[in-house]
Amino acid sequence: MRKLLVALLALALMVTLCAGAIAENLEPITLTVFRGDPGDQPAEDNKIYKLIEEKFGVTFEFEFLAGDLDETLGLKIANEDYPDLFDGGNSADLIIQNGALRNLLDFINPEDTPRLWAHIEPQKARLIEQDEEGNDVLYIIPNYGLADGEQIANYVSGPAFFIQKQVLAWDNYPQIHTLNEYFDLIERFIAANPTDENGAPYIGFDILCEDWRHFCLINPVQHLMGRPNDGEVLIDVSTDDFKTETFIDKPYAKGYYKKLNEEFHKGLISKDTFVMNYDQYIAQLSSGTVLGMFDQYWDFSGTAEAALRTAGMDKNTYVALGLVYDPEYVDGKEIEEHYLNGSLPNVRRGFGISVNCDDEKAKRIVDMWEEMLSDEWQLIFNWGIEGEDYYVDENGRLNMTEEQYKNTQDNTWKLHNKANAFFESSPKKQGWIMDGQFEGNAWEVGNQPEIVLGQMVDYDKDFLSHYGYSKWADFVNPPIELAPYGEAWQIDYSPVDIEHTDFLAVQDQRLPEIIMADESEFDAKWDAFVEEIAPSASVFESFMQDAVLKEAQKVLGNE
Amino acid sequence: MRNNKEKAIAIHKKSVWRRLGDQWQLMLMSVPMLLYVFLFNYAPMWGWLTAFQDYKPKLGLTGSPWVSMKNFAWLFSRQDFLNSIRNTLAMSIINLVLGTITSILLAVLLNEVRNRTFKRTVQTVTYLPHFLSMVIVVGMAQNIFASNGAVNNLLLSLGLVKEPVFFLGEGKYFWGLVGVINVWKEVGWNTIIYISAMTAIDPCLHEAAAIDGAGRFQRILNVTLPGIKSTFVILLIMNIGHLMEAGFEMQYLLGSSVVIDWSQTIDVFVMNYGISKQQYGVATAAGLFKSVVAIILLIGANTISKKLDEDTLI
Repeated sequence: MRKLLVALLALALMVTLCAGAIAENLEPITLTVFRGDPGDQPAEDNKIYKLIEEKFGVTFEFEFLAGDLDETLGLKIANEDYPDLFDGGNSADLIIQNGALRNLLDFINPEDTPRLWAHIEPQKARLIEQDEEGNDVLYIIPNYGLADGEQIANYVSGPAFFIQKQVLAWDNYPQIHTLNEYFDLIERFIAANPTDENGAPYIGFDILCEDWRHFCLINPVQHLMGRPNDGEVLIDVSTDDFKTETFIDKPYAKGYYKKLNEEFHKGLISKDTFVMNYDQYIAQLSSGTVLGMFDQYWDFSGTAEAALRTAGMDKNTYVALGLVYDPEYVDGKEIEEHYLNGSLPNVRRGFGISVNCDDEKAKRIVDMWEEMLSDEWQLIFNWGIEGEDYYVDENGRLNMTEEQYKNTQDNTWKLHNKANAFFESSPKKQGWIMDGQFEGNAWEVGNQPEIVLGQMVDYDKDFLSHYGYSKWADFVNPPIELAPYGEAWQIDYSPVDIEHTDFLAVQDQRLPEIIMADESEFDAKWDAFVEEIAPSASVFESFMQDAVLKEAQKVLGNE
Repeated sequence: MRNNKEKAIAIHKKSVWRRLGDQWQLMLMSVPMLLYVFLFNYAPMWGWLTAFQDYKPKLGLTGSPWVSMKNFAWLFSRQDFLNSIRNTLAMSIINLVLGTITSILLAVLLNEVRNRTFKRTVQTVTYLPHFLSMVIVVGMAQNIFASNGAVNNLLLSLGLVKEPVFFLGEGKYFWGLVGVINVWKEVGWNTIIYISAMTAIDPCLHEAAAIDGAGRFQRILNVTLPGIKSTFVILLIMNIGHLMEAGFEMQYLLGSSVVIDWSQTIDVFVMNYGISKQQYGVATAAGLFKSVVAIILLIGANTISKKLDEDTLI
C-alpha cells in the first residue's frame, strides 16, 4: 500500500512537472544584447536574471561598450554584426539610418500588447515616425521619460554648474545665481583654503573636453542664457517659428569664455583639464579636490559622487546651481534661470530589436516586455524582492531599511541582485504608481519620499536646513513646460553629419586655446574662431531650424 | 662541360607543367600557404572598389552608387587630411631614425659587454616594455608628462624651466613625445635582430683586427658595424615600406582635440571621419592612397639600394 502511495506520488510529481513545462511552452533562448555605454557583466548567480530565465526561458549575453561609441557602431554596421537587443546609446540614429532595427509596430498593437500600447500611446506623436515610404515606424521604445502622474523633480539630474557643498557652507550658505557670483565665491574659498586637509591643492574649476562629453565645454552658454538643454542650439520659444541659432559663435557666448580665460590666468583652471580623459576626470572629482565644474549630474553621480559618499566625504559632494549671466554680459538684460525642463520621452534611446533577430524571437522579446510592464515585474526590477530587498509598512508604503538601501548603492551587490544591464534600456514605468495595491508610491526607489528623506545623511540634512529647503531641486527653479519640439539635442542630425562633426571639431580645438590664450590675444583668437566655425555652423543652424519646426509640427499638428 | 650545359638547358626547357609535376610533393606543401595569401591578401582587394563608391552596407558592393573619384577629391580638399599625411610621415621618419639609431647603439654596447649576467639582464629589462599594451604605456606617459608629473618636477627642481611645460597640450611637443615613448617601448625589442647579426660575425675578424692593433672603438667601427650593414639595409627597406603606418593606437590615445593638428595620423583620420561617420568609401579611399604610396616608397628604396650595389629585398 505504502509502495503504491509512493509510486502514485512520484507519478503525480512527474505529471505536474510535465504540465508545468507544457504550460510555459517556451523553448529556452539566449538573447545577445549590446549596450551603448560601458558597464559590468552581471554575476552568474544574479537572482533577477534567474527569475527571468525561469519565467520566460530567456538568458542574456551582454556586450558593453568599450571605447568610442560611433566607431563601435560603425564597425557593427559595416559587418552587419547586430545583437538581438540593440541599444545604440546616444548614436542610435546611426543604426536606424542603416536599417539595423526592426519596426516594433509589427508586434505592438492595442489587442496583443495592451500594456505596451498604453505605455507609448500618450506620446505617440513624438515616438512614431514615418519612414521613406510613409509607413508608421517605431524602432525603439524609450528607456526613460514615459512617466505617470505629476513630474518628480527631487534633484537636478541633468546639466548644471556644480559646486562642492563645503564651499557654500564656508561662506555661510549664500544664494548663488550668476556666473560672477559663482566664480567669485570659488576664488575667495581658494584664497582662504589653498589646499585640503591632506595638503592636496584645490582645483577651482574643471572642464572635461573628451570625446562626446565635451558638452562640459560647449553647452553652458545656452543655460546661462536661461534655456534648458537644447544641445548645441539656442531656441527662442517665444517666437512662432522657434527661431533657432547656434550660440557658440554669437557675441553673448564670448563673455563666458572671456570669464574662463580670466579664471585660467588666476589659476582656478588647470591646463591639464583640457587633455584629461573621462577616467582621469572622475579620479580627480573623486579625490574631493575639484571645487566646481559644469557637467550633467548623471555623468558623475554613479562614479565620483558615489566614491565620495563611500569615503565619507559628504562635504565634498556637489550641489547643482542654476547660473545665468550677470546683466553686464548681456546688455543689462535680466535673465531668468531654467535648468529644469518638463519631462520628455527619451526618443530613440533604449533597446531596439535588430533585423538579425527572426520573427519568432522578436515576438518572444515583445511578449516578454509586455509581461514585464506588469506591476509585479516593475516592482521586481525597481525595488527587488519583497522582504529581501525592501519592505511594505503597515500603510502600504514601500520602504527600505538602512542596510537594504545601502545595498542599492553598492555596485558589486547590484551585479548579483539587480538586472540593471537589461532593465535600464528596456521599457519601464516611471513616476508615480497610479493604481492598485501600491497606489501613490514612486516606481523608482530614488524618488520615493520615504527614501529621499529617510536615507539622507546628517550632513545633507543640516546643509539643506540652513537654506530652508527640503530637496536639492530647490536650488533651481521648478521645471518649465516642455517646448513642443521636445529638447533639440534629441534631433537626428545625421543628414548633416560631416558638417556637424566639423562644427564640433572646431570648438573642441579652439575653445581650449581661447581659454588658455594670453589676455592680449583673446579677442583676436575669438574672432578667428568665429570665422573658422562659420561655414559648418551655418549649415548646421539652418538644418536645425527646419528640424525643430518639423518636430514641433508633429506635436502641434496633433492637437 | 658542354654536356652539362646542354643538360641544364634541356631541364630548363622542360615544360612548366612537367616540372611542377616532378615536384608535386613540394607543390602540395605550398597549397595551404597559397590559399592563405589568396584568401587574406588578394580576395579582400575587391573591397578596394568601395573607394569609388558611396558605400552603404545596406546596399552592398553591388548596390551602392558609383561616384568615381569623389571620395579622393573630398579627402584632398580637407586641410586636416593633408595635415594627417604630414603628421604620419613626420612621426614615421622620427620613429625610424630614432628607433634605428638607438637600437644599433644599444646593440653595439651590449655586444661589448663581457659579463653575461649583466648583458642578459639589460636585454630582458629593455625589451619587456614591448609586451605592454599601448593603453598602459600611454597612461604612464600621461602621468609622467603631466604638469605635475615626474618630468616637470625634475625640470622645475633643476631650475631649467620657470613653470611646468605643457607637454600633452601643445602641438609642437607631440611628435617628440611619440618618438621618445616609442624608443622606450621598442628599443630593446629592436636590438634583438642586430645582436643576432653581430653574433654571426666571424670572431676571426675581431681577432685579426685586434692583432693589427685595433682598439675596441676601432673594432666597432671597422668590424661590427660593417658586419651588420646588410641587416641594416634590409630592415631599412622594409621599414620604408611601412612609412605610411605611423601607428594608430598611440596617437589615438595620447592625442586630444587641443593638439589634433599635430597628432592626427591618416589612420586616426580614417577612424574619425570614415568609420565613425559611416563614410566607408572615404575610409577605403584613404587606405588605398596609403597602400599606393607605400608601394612607391618600397620600390623606390629598393631601386636606390640596388643602384648603390647593396643588398636588396626584391
